Amino acid sequence: MEYLIHLAILFTVYAMLGVSLNLVVGYTGLLSLTHAAFYGIGSYTTAILLTQSGVDFFPSVVLGIILTLIASFLIGLVLSKFRDDYYALGSFGFNAIAFAVFLNWQNLTRGPLGIPGISKPELFGIDFSNNFNFLMLVLAFLGLVYLASRFIVNSSFGRVLKSIREDEEAIQVFGYNTLYFKLAVFMIGAGMAAIAGSFFASYITFIDPSGFTLMESVFILVIIILGGLANLRGSVLGALFLILLPEILRFVGFPSSVAAQMRQLVYGLILILLMLYRPQGLLGEYKI
Amino acid sequence: MDILPQLIVNIIIAGAIYALVALGFNLIYGATKFFNLAHGVIAAVGGYAVFYFAKTLGWNVYLAVIIGVLLAGIAGYGLDKFVYLPLRKRKASNMVLLVASLGAFTAIQAVIAILFTSQFKTLSYSVGTQRIFEIFDGVITQTQLIILMSVALITAGLILLLYKTRFGKAVRAMSDDEEVAKIVGINTNRIIGRIFFIGSAIAGLAGILVGFDTGIEPTMGLGLLLKGVIASIIGGVGNIYGGVMGAFLLGFVENFGIWKISGEWKDAIAFALLIVFLLFRPKGIMNK
Repeated sequence: MEYLIHLAILFTVYAMLGVSLNLVVGYTGLLSLTHAAFYGIGSYTTAILLTQSGVDFFPSVVLGIILTLIASFLIGLVLSKFRDDYYALGSFGFNAIAFAVFLNWQNLTRGPLGIPGISKPELFGIDFSNNFNFLMLVLAFLGLVYLASRFIVNSSFGRVLKSIREDEEAIQVFGYNTLYFKLAVFMIGAGMAAIAGSFFASYITFIDPSGFTLMESVFILVIIILGGLANLRGSVLGALFLILLPEILRFVGFPSSVAAQMRQLVYGLILILLMLYRPQGLLGEYKI
Repeated sequence: MDILPQLIVNIIIAGAIYALVALGFNLIYGATKFFNLAHGVIAAVGGYAVFYFAKTLGWNVYLAVIIGVLLAGIAGYGLDKFVYLPLRKRKASNMVLLVASLGAFTAIQAVIAILFTSQFKTLSYSVGTQRIFEIFDGVITQTQLIILMSVALITAGLILLLYKTRFGKAVRAMSDDEEVAKIVGINTNRIIGRIFFIGSAIAGLAGILVGFDTGIEPTMGLGLLLKGVIASIIGGVGNIYGGVMGAFLLGFVENFGIWKISGEWKDAIAFALLIVFLLFRPKGIMNK
């Protein structure tokens, strides 16, 4: 049971990451491979504040979001100049830079040693160090993120995003400044990723830079491509499948010494097969 | 002791290795117009093939190097045949090809890690006893000398191939305009297959040389790929001369950055250079 809750919490964190990235990749058509950077900024903000300054969990989430918004504003400003494959490559670059910062800003992040002993939140006398309570809290936040995302994509703002994806020049002709829209959705997605990061740090209680590499961004991308681009339910489904996948592999009986690599192999194959046979993913409405 | 001569030697060696990766990458990009992210892991295939044949099986090193280069070429050719060609036939967008190559990269890297473990290995037999040459005040090892010579040879060979043969003429025609090339009777898919073989073989050689110079690990592909891509873009993507120039410029900026700032920021410096170029001169040094 404890283990199921553990999986459920991981699933919720990744569903949050998937839903937020889908806003950027699926709805707006910007292939961002830098999501793990924002996830990392959220994680590190919470980790550093909780271990070093005695700030509570929830203020640290807010600060994490603010820092991520600033970072994503600057990164998004640069990335908005690119399109398609150059966009992907540029975002690749920012993830590598963010990773270098996590790894090398040792006074703040302790570099490769990581930050241990991150505490769990407490609110209204409810102690969230109980895993079940924690799960309920994360689920509530996933619900908020999901509803906010659904509101965004169904609003007129969301319709502009979709038309940017379909034909950016056409929507510019109608007088929309697409830069603002692209920047806004990029920042919204990044802020949501920061929330996921704060919860992840608080739950796992230990973070180090290896959790925020480019491979992590690829993993989040696999989630949303598998589930389906421009489909929020798809992202939740994709996260569920990919979190359960290692367990399935274990049942099939792969040796655990190569479990991580085996998982990576499956992610890679999923991407290739999806591109070959179903580029829009399971529930997707849009093909890249 | 003056640091400058050694710095220059380091710049030339780093530039030479990046140039090898960029050459193959540019060749493939010129013909297919998509970012083949699997290019880096092909280099790792070459390195590990040599490790297997020369160190595990104990074959002759030269033979192993030839097999390694061929295997890398075949791996690239196979990728084109079984993944990219079917996608091209379906008129998939560049983004689909990019994501598929990301999948191939992830999967092949995982296979290498499963077969050979993730440990760092070196191909060199004579660690520490290598012959060392002194040029002015800089030190250069025998391996590094071989690297320089092979880069010069391959660049010259590739230029001859592209500008003096029928095959080269066809390749250049395709880089200019694939549709027209098809109309005048060039079998573009067969040419692309061969380009994948040649470009991947060169990447394999790069991986092997890096293996002799420092060492191999399954994740080496990512670093090499990124440096190769950055070199191609700042030099002018799809342009053979541009790739080589970009590689040396990247080597220069990186090594200067290491000297002035610190070694850990190497990757971040490389990406900062890429982003500066993408913003201010997106077509690179050579392309107008």
